[in-house]
Amino acid sequence: MATATREFIRNLHDLPHTVKDAWFRLGKTPESEREESQATFHNLFLHIHSVRVHMRTLTPTLTFGLGLMATGTFLITVVTGLLLMVYYKPSTDLAYQSIKDIHFTVYTGRFIRNIHRWAAQLMVLTVLLHMARVFFTGSYKKPREFNWLVGLGLLVMTLALSFTGYLLPWDQLAYWAITIGSNIANSPRELTDALGITRWLDPGGFQKRLLLGANYVGQDALIRFYVLHVFLLPLALVTLLSVHFWRIRKDGGLARPEDPMGGPAEWGGAHRTVFQPIPTKTYGLMALVKGQRPTVNRGPENTVMSWPHLFWAELAVFMITVATTLVLSFYWDAPLKELANPAIPENPAKAPWYFLGIQELVSYSAFTGGLLIPLIVVVGLALIPFLDRRSGGEGTWFGTAGEKSVFRNSLLFAVLVTVGTLVFTVNFGWLRNWVPEVHQLWIIIFNPGSLLVLIFAAWSLLVLKRKDSVRLAAVALFTCFLVGFTILTYFATVHRGPNWHFYWWLSQWPVH
Amino acid sequence: MKDPSRIYRWILLGASVLTIVYLVGAAVHENYLAQWSGVQRQYREILRQKAKDDRGRELLAKFRIELKQVSLPALGTVDRCVTCHNGIDDPRMTDVALPHRVHPAGVLDIHPVDRFGCTVCHHGQGPATTFRDAKADDAYWDYPLLPPEMTQATCATCHDAEKLPVAQIPLLLTGMKLYQEKSCGSCHKLAGRGGALGPALDSEGAKTRHQLIMSNLQPPHTTWRWQEAHFRDPAGLVAGSQMRNPTVTRQEALALTVYMLSQWKRDVPESYLAPDMIEQKYRALHPTPLSGEQVYRQYCAACHGNGTYSRWDKTFKRFIPAIRGVSLIATASPEYLASNIQHGRPGTQMPAWDKQAGGLLPEEITAVTGYLRAGAPAVEKISPLTLAGDSTRGLTLFLRNCAGCHGMDGRGGTAPEIGNPVFQKAATDEFIIHTIRKGRQGTAMPAFERPDAPAFADQDVADVLAYVRTFGEHKREKAVAKNAIPVSGGRP
Amino acid sequence: MSRLDPPRVTRRSFLSIASLGSFFAAVGTAAAGLFRLPNPAVLPGPVRRFKPGAPEQFTPGSETLFSDANLVLFRDDDGFYAISTTCTHLGCIVSRAKQGFACPCHGSRFDDRGKVVGGPAPRPLPWLEISRAADGQLVINADNEVPEGTRYRV
Repeated sequence: MATATREFIRNLHDLPHTVKDAWFRLGKTPESEREESQATFHNLFLHIHSVRVHMRTLTPTLTFGLGLMATGTFLITVVTGLLLMVYYKPSTDLAYQSIKDIHFTVYTGRFIRNIHRWAAQLMVLTVLLHMARVFFTGSYKKPREFNWLVGLGLLVMTLALSFTGYLLPWDQLAYWAITIGSNIANSPRELTDALGITRWLDPGGFQKRLLLGANYVGQDALIRFYVLHVFLLPLALVTLLSVHFWRIRKDGGLARPEDPMGGPAEWGGAHRTVFQPIPTKTYGLMALVKGQRPTVNRGPENTVMSWPHLFWAELAVFMITVATTLVLSFYWDAPLKELANPAIPENPAKAPWYFLGIQELVSYSAFTGGLLIPLIVVVGLALIPFLDRRSGGEGTWFGTAGEKSVFRNSLLFAVLVTVGTLVFTVNFGWLRNWVPEVHQLWIIIFNPGSLLVLIFAAWSLLVLKRKDSVRLAAVALFTCFLVGFTILTYFATVHRGPNWHFYWWLSQWPVH
Repeated sequence: MKDPSRIYRWILLGASVLTIVYLVGAAVHENYLAQWSGVQRQYREILRQKAKDDRGRELLAKFRIELKQVSLPALGTVDRCVTCHNGIDDPRMTDVALPHRVHPAGVLDIHPVDRFGCTVCHHGQGPATTFRDAKADDAYWDYPLLPPEMTQATCATCHDAEKLPVAQIPLLLTGMKLYQEKSCGSCHKLAGRGGALGPALDSEGAKTRHQLIMSNLQPPHTTWRWQEAHFRDPAGLVAGSQMRNPTVTRQEALALTVYMLSQWKRDVPESYLAPDMIEQKYRALHPTPLSGEQVYRQYCAACHGNGTYSRWDKTFKRFIPAIRGVSLIATASPEYLASNIQHGRPGTQMPAWDKQAGGLLPEEITAVTGYLRAGAPAVEKISPLTLAGDSTRGLTLFLRNCAGCHGMDGRGGTAPEIGNPVFQKAATDEFIIHTIRKGRQGTAMPAFERPDAPAFADQDVADVLAYVRTFGEHKREKAVAKNAIPVSGGRP
Repeated sequence: MSRLDPPRVTRRSFLSIASLGSFFAAVGTAAAGLFRLPNPAVLPGPVRRFKPGAPEQFTPGSETLFSDANLVLFRDDDGFYAISTTCTHLGCIVSRAKQGFACPCHGSRFDDRGKVVGGPAPRPLPWLEISRAADGQLVINADNEVPEGTRYRV
């Protein structure tokens, strides 16, 4: 037989092995740290991780895995969302019917829609908690300012995805929540009307037309929301997410205090020899890079191999997310109300829970509560790492001196102020109840929402002056923001009923 | 050495097992515990028991356990009712329980399920695959399943109800008759004809429970329960309702409810309409005028009663004149009456009835005028006054003698609103003079020529007339100033 | 020995295998559920079980075209049979020719009983299953084929 033929037959015989080797470079479970390193950086999906990871990263109570959970929920919504797209028809005539089909007949459709819904809710929750974690561990500080901004962008994307997805079922809940939401986009008119300049300058009307493609929520709005929800926003979010991960790696992994110099590395009660390079040997950097620079000869690392430890942790957190979503989806269906009817407003027409804080503010002034205050909050959050530039305390919960007490005091203060404002407003009303002819401009400027913002800002300035620390002032302000958000959300969820009246419980709501 | 990822492996194990448990649970729940598959297994058992001949065995062999649906894009429905109601077209299924039982005889022969589906007649949530969701009285669905006796309401979607056998739609026909007998048209419009006091009822059947005030109704809050309760006590359900209690029995309320539910301008393709429905549409375009008495019964009687007495209406806070009263028809010319009917009395409860407003045909207005004046003598000829009236003196006389009942500026009180622009236009001088002199028998309006009343000399009458005639202008200015009553609307 | 190739304690503990195994089992179960979704449980559009009417409506020797359902119903002295008018080549709708059926797309020709007499069609036009519904009407099930020559006798 000719050599070539023999070679061909031998290759054919080896085919299973060669194909496997082509797929799995290592071809076996890694047995040495070199192989473990290769397992990490030979894999497109894993190579965003560093080969070695600091022990602190694996401490559950440092991050509670919140960022990973948010990513997990996003992955779940992507997978389930793609599947829902198989049946969903973005047309006002067909959308509602297609959701009914998904609910009643499509195999696994009902469960998958529930999962999509619950994962989306959990995504908002985990993104918010993740932000709080990053703040309270001081992890936004130099060199991580940029990633804080990216994270803020991801928060906005998450909320926008949720908002656009809300319309798609085309039921009463969707229709009226989006009608309200799009009129918040229109709310700069409140200001321009009050100033009498709408004829010349109408940013509100422009925004609303841009969002809805009409001056009402209809087919044009539905298709715009659909395109945003299934294409543009996910694309933007994935892009930002890639940058976010990339920056984590480039900024040296999770924020943490510097390891003390000298002495043997110690963890788990055991000592490990500090890496001593042999002068005659050349080393690749891959096993040595840690933090922002190579650390040969630089004292204890306190690191372990990413493979398998970090990946166990990541898988575990991901599966917790999946399991939580499944359990919730098994017991509670995603809501679907009657077919959208432009003639009958839903009462009360409540937005999804994470927007209810804003909806409470909107009930005072659409412009201030719906646009101005959220804008102030976002800008304020974005400025945090640039105003608080002193390092120290990174990667530790309440890492600098006095943070805990400022946090506790701010918590108490913000609860009192927020509850007080709400109690006052419910009992005594506001400007218009006292002076019916009051000019709208006064209401835009001075309402319970803007009052809260002012009080919180004043409190933060007070802390700045008293404690002489920007970080502590930031802690005070951020705590106030969290408390305000939480209480307003709770209040609007539980205590607001038909006509946005105050009720103690749901059972007190009037029928109809 | 302690393993830093040991805890995570335990968590991974736990979370994965939990995930598998719930995935398997969801799969079992969807595939083996679905209500409809249980129902179909029962039905297959029934088929097996009844498979006594070749046909029966064939039906059993062909039966598959699967979701079934009738999808009708033309009607915009997808009805999955047949997933559980498997025996509706099987004449052998008379002795089995619901949902397996055959559909009542005859109906499906002319309304095949493949062509009509189910919800076009029965309402309910067609896409649903559980009984609870299909019935939908506590689900988020606008049109829950109609109770059996109400289903006849939907016949009117494609049929002219009057052409259907009475035995099939007894309640609907009774309701239709009651609607006329109770003179509902006096206040409500239907197909463009009727008064303007209440809401038009053309889409009453299409209303959802969210469009009705349910706070005073015991649950369940269905539209038909609301309608029925509302017919028995309108103000009890809707606080402040001006609707007169139609005083109906329970059965009559049910009939009216069915009639209301039938008022649904549902858009069905022409091919679904019964031939008589097309005739009905033609007739609606070319209506046959009603007789005077029919018009009066259907469109006047609710307020004016039999028209021979005047009365004070508590709800309207207004005096309702006796339009068939002896002394009025003796004085009022047909033109005067017709003008009032055509243009109504703007600002009062009396609406305009001409073709653009109340929808009465010109022939019908003539006919009802004739009906009002039936038995009356020809209008007495009254010689017009030749005296010139002094409206300033007339004011004094008016305040002293007339304003107590007719109100300042003729705005009305316990007596008709003589400042009303339509009255001003319709009433001739002779009519007013005659009325002042002779009064109205059977009402509080005295005859000012009678000795027991402050007798008016001719000059007095002329002065009062002159003053009354200033109301037209007065009222208009006031109306414009206060922007309250649209005066021009009633003027031709 | 270099730090890069230290001797290892094996990590193949029972816990690792169990947790990784359960993870893949969970992902597999989920994938099975996910891939189930795109397969439609009920087909949209008109029902494929088609009721042409009662047997008495068709005289022996008649042939009736139902263009909505894409089939021709024949009745001869032996009984009923229905032939699909969907071409077995690539799914175009064949039309009734003088002799048999002709496909406009790639020129397939079939005789009166659906047998291929020309063109690329790989197999004859399907004969469809006929049965009777509980109410006595004929039912043609376009999803089920019967062997050529099968007649349904009333």
